[in-house]
Amino acid sequence: MPITAEHVGRRYPAAPPYEVSRAKIAEFATAIRDDNPAYFSDSPIAPPTFAAVIAAHAWEALFGDEELGLALNRTMHTDQGFTFHRPLRAGDVVHAQLGIEKVRNRGTLDMITVVVDLVVGGETVCEARSGLMHTRGDDNA
Amino acid sequence: MPEIVKGAELPELRVGVTRSVVVRYSGASTDFNEIHFSDRHARAIGLPGVVAHGMWTMGAGLKVVTDWVGDPARVLGYFVRFTRPVVVPDTDEGVEVVYRATVADVAYGVAKLSITAECGDDQVLGAARAEVRVD
Repeated sequence: MPITAEHVGRRYPAAPPYEVSRAKIAEFATAIRDDNPAYFSDSPIAPPTFAAVIAAHAWEALFGDEELGLALNRTMHTDQGFTFHRPLRAGDVVHAQLGIEKVRNRGTLDMITVVVDLVVGGETVCEARSGLMHTRGDDNA
Repeated sequence: MPEIVKGAELPELRVGVTRSVVVRYSGASTDFNEIHFSDRHARAIGLPGVVAHGMWTMGAGLKVVTDWVGDPARVLGYFVRFTRPVVVPDTDEGVEVVYRATVADVAYGVAKLSITAECGDDQVLGAARAEVRVD
């Protein structure tokens, strides 16, 4: 059975906690070629889009939900948005929880919006919203 | 921070990307999709060759804004559509992505910026926008 609007509102248990480290922040900032000193201080903040690295761990629950019949290799990431309440910092232990926000089916295409809440100590620090376009396979088209 | 008025253009940002940068982003992000290091895998899904991660293109581009506001903690929101892939040739030079941003609005201490990202003739991001605290 494909994913449908009936699945809107479904939320999954949070992914295993992710601890943000100074080394990982520096590695990520270097990879996006950003030398902002805020990322390389003794108590650095993470580049804003680092949130996607943690959010991606929460995607596993979505693709692991057999009822939805989603395959990662038939999924395109079409858009990405973030709302930041405060920056992620080295030492933060982040719980990432995914919810399905919107589903539209068009022929064999499923357009899905998911939101991952990044929560530190009970406080939501970031919402990462992703648009996904999934092409259904022959088995459930 | 410079004067913030509607219509102001931020200094443009040029970011080079080589295969080495793409591999570095794979490691840093733990996104090990083969299309980011194997031409064979990239061609199998209709791409001309290895492409940069969409999230790299998004992440690298925010520097056009954070260099301007100084403190990245001022970023309140950021949105992009992934319109075209950044194809990265296996050369020492790689390719360059050119980011430009304009102040679309300023109100209540928040500036809204609209952002473009060009690689060659392609607009690689669409509808890109960021919101930053400027008070």
